[in-house]
Amino acid sequence: MRLRKRMLDDLDQDIRDHLERETQDNIERGMSAEEARYAALRKFGNVTRVKEETRDVWSVVWLEQLIQDARFGLRTLWRSPGLTVAAVLAIGLGIGVNVGVFSVLNGAALRLLPVPRAEQIVSVNQILHGRTSRDIHGEASMFSYPEYLNYRDHNHVFTGLVAYEPFVEATLAGGNVEQLLGTAISCNYFGVLNEHPAQGRGFVDSDCAASGGNAVVVVSDDLWRGRFAADPSLVGKRIILNRTAYTVVGVARPGFRGTEPIPSAFWAPITMQKAFEPGRDRLADDNMSWLALLGRTQPGVTMQQVRADLGVIAGRIDQLHPGRTTSLAIRTATFFNSPEERSFLIPVASVILAAFALVLLIACANVANLLLARASARHKEIALRLSIGASRWRLVRQLLTESLLLSLAGGVLGSLIAFWSFLKITQFVISHLPHGLPTFVVNVAPNIHVLAYALGLTLITGIAFGLIPALRSSRLDLNTILKGDSVHSGPGKRSGRSLLNALVGSQVAVCMVLLLAAGLLLRGLYYAQTVNPGFEEKNVAEAFFDLRAQGYDESRATAFVERLRERIGGDPGVIEVAQAECAPLSHDFSVGTFTVPGRPDKISIEYNHVSPEYFSVVGIPIVRGRGFGPGENAPGVIVTESTARRLWPGEDPLGKTLREDGGEDSVIGVARDAQVSHLGELNTTYLYYPAGPRDDARTYVLVRYAGGFTDVAKGIRDASRSLDHDVSVDVIKLEDNLEIWRAPSRIVAALSGALGALALLLASIGVYGMVYYSVNRCVREIGIRMALGANGGDVMSLVLWRAMRPVLIGAIIGMAVCAGVSQVLSSMLFGLSAHDPIAFVCVPLFLLAVALFASYIPARRAVRVDPMVALRCE
Amino acid sequence: MSTKEQKERIELLQGTLDLLILRTLLLGPMHGHAIAKAIEFRSDDVLQVEQGSLYPALHRLIKRRWISVEEGTSENNRRAKFYRLTAKGRRQLVLETNRWDALAGAIARILRPAEQESES
Repeated sequence: MRLRKRMLDDLDQDIRDHLERETQDNIERGMSAEEARYAALRKFGNVTRVKEETRDVWSVVWLEQLIQDARFGLRTLWRSPGLTVAAVLAIGLGIGVNVGVFSVLNGAALRLLPVPRAEQIVSVNQILHGRTSRDIHGEASMFSYPEYLNYRDHNHVFTGLVAYEPFVEATLAGGNVEQLLGTAISCNYFGVLNEHPAQGRGFVDSDCAASGGNAVVVVSDDLWRGRFAADPSLVGKRIILNRTAYTVVGVARPGFRGTEPIPSAFWAPITMQKAFEPGRDRLADDNMSWLALLGRTQPGVTMQQVRADLGVIAGRIDQLHPGRTTSLAIRTATFFNSPEERSFLIPVASVILAAFALVLLIACANVANLLLARASARHKEIALRLSIGASRWRLVRQLLTESLLLSLAGGVLGSLIAFWSFLKITQFVISHLPHGLPTFVVNVAPNIHVLAYALGLTLITGIAFGLIPALRSSRLDLNTILKGDSVHSGPGKRSGRSLLNALVGSQVAVCMVLLLAAGLLLRGLYYAQTVNPGFEEKNVAEAFFDLRAQGYDESRATAFVERLRERIGGDPGVIEVAQAECAPLSHDFSVGTFTVPGRPDKISIEYNHVSPEYFSVVGIPIVRGRGFGPGENAPGVIVTESTARRLWPGEDPLGKTLREDGGEDSVIGVARDAQVSHLGELNTTYLYYPAGPRDDARTYVLVRYAGGFTDVAKGIRDASRSLDHDVSVDVIKLEDNLEIWRAPSRIVAALSGALGALALLLASIGVYGMVYYSVNRCVREIGIRMALGANGGDVMSLVLWRAMRPVLIGAIIGMAVCAGVSQVLSSMLFGLSAHDPIAFVCVPLFLLAVALFASYIPARRAVRVDPMVALRCE
Repeated sequence: MSTKEQKERIELLQGTLDLLILRTLLLGPMHGHAIAKAIEFRSDDVLQVEQGSLYPALHRLIKRRWISVEEGTSENNRRAKFYRLTAKGRRQLVLETNRWDALAGAIARILRPAEQESES
């Protein structure tokens, strides 16, 4: 380093000495002093370049130059504050939106679990191949209890392996009856996760010693604060969950809401499973998927070792089940671990990120436009520097430094806004989800992933919008520029314009894709809001009773429901009360496999058990035959029209028979088609059985009313409470079920609408800037035309045509791309038609109108130019 | 005024110029101008080195520690930097010379195949 300094400090002196010596030699050879000096200089070559190259030899030069470039860049940016602010805002917007979306996805899919040393926690899932038939409660990739014990006791890689059943529903009795979502856990859960309750204790092995033996519970901080008003003496007290008394042994740490995206309100030992779900003993069942597995790896154990070790155990289990092979999916645990969830989440996330990246692309194109426009103003400066010996690469680097400074400023601004606003936005969205969707927690706070993403995006952006202008403006025809013809000596006038045109065209194309997608989604939403589901959803209240979970047996349940219906039926304003196994569009489905005499194939048909009043309460007419009579339990079924057409085409369905599992039913009536199972699917096969006492333990009560909903809802709650204080009942409007079906398309439509508006704003700024710039470039041409007698209208249409041509081309490309994309969208979202004519006509017209307006303003300015001014200003 | 052409010429000269400098310094320590003169003189003025390109080359060689630099007084009592071949540079010179001979021989064999054959 010292050597370098000594060498460079004396460089000027050395070169001067050298030149003097050479001059002296020349004089001795007989030249005049002046001649000798010139000859020496000629022989030496370009002094500045020699100095540059000599400095380059000492490699840290790049750092020096970077600082130098950054300083110079800052000065330049400072000198044109308008451009700087516009560019920083455009990039900030683009990067901000992208970083925000990424931080949400990061919170959902990439963040490790919120427990100490989470990087050691791995999730284990299994995929079963081959001839298997298995009960699934939750997801297919989960484990049975005996399988869990096998992995827990025979692995050599974990300090502990945890099993839990996510989403255990329980009714909390006392005061306001409340429906809670909790977790049944193996008793090493808190210990292995290293998660210590804020009060009291977690579970110990003895809590899980015997099945149903130890009724203890840890409650969440939210439940403790909300329901128990932060009672400091709650630990040690008893609470009633699903009719069983549990002793509270602990209150969880405030930040810990469990290991699933939906927060858990309590944790109970897995051995209490039977108390939560009476009548089912899952612990003994070796062929049921219901437990999620998390293990903490021993220090120094690699993922490979984990896979190998657990693979051996899986192989041993497979030997007990001939014809079955298990493959394990093992990964560092996040909130979404199972292959099912990930295979859904990852493509959706990619589509979303791609859409937002498109917006950033538009912002980039805008900034590139601005820089190109400015580069033409800087031709002289650049030409001068090239001519005194700066290398082209050096100039490109300097221009890139400038654009990176811009993108860095934009990135920092955008990221800060994103970190702040997306916290608020996520809260807002989650609190405005329709009633009935579970709340979930997403931690969108920035972490290392988000910061890395923001930084990477910023750098790519800086290079993306800076590279083309930098490369172009450093390739100049020096002679023309230095002679002073600054306007007409861009890097090839024609190619300059075509590049601008390409930028504008691509902006318009991207914008068109986003806007069209938004338009299609909005149309789909409109259709979804107005579609007739085939039943009358208004003025019907829906109440769900899961009495089996409350410990009711069949006869008690029947007695309860009968008395309940009597009371509700007597309420003022109530017209009719019905019962059903599945309420319309309630996301409750029952499917059976049937055969029809005379047909070889098996047909799976969705079915429902309904009381006789069902058809009139939800307004589905019986079009042939009869409905069910009171007390009917005979083997008769009612099919829908589509089912009749499908099973007995061209025949009278009445009296035909259907077989299922040995039973045989004859058709007594035909009901009109209705979208009671999936909104948007009209022609699915569906049939109705008469409801019997067996169905009372788990039933929907549907009430058609004439007055206000609140009174009816209160009547139902009061009736239920007067019969049994501890039964939880949730009364909603039947039409709310439709909202849940519509929610995804509404959210997506709102999102893409906002994105499309942003894209439109950016693209119209881009079009405006481009036209403004190109009009400025041809002011002289316009002046000449006007001076020669062209009229304003002709010039105007010329300018507009030049501006609109790339817009039109971009619009057509965008429409073509969107036609392809909408095929995919329409399969994903309800009610969407891939080639909706209204969207495909209105959106392009709208976009073109905006573009036309954006080019009209600068064009008008051009036409008003006084020819003399235009000609003189050259 | 095309930067591209010049650049190519520099690159063409680079390795060769390093070799010539090392060989010249074998005679003893010299200052920059003297090196340029020596190269011209010893090549019977055939090689017209663009003298400026000497300096980046000298700095490169110093950085590689093939030559060292010391302050000294020149023949007419002026202070100047004197460049001296180091032991490492000497080894490098042998290596580079061999390489050059091999290259020159190979090119000569391609350009004048007939003469080569008739001589042998």
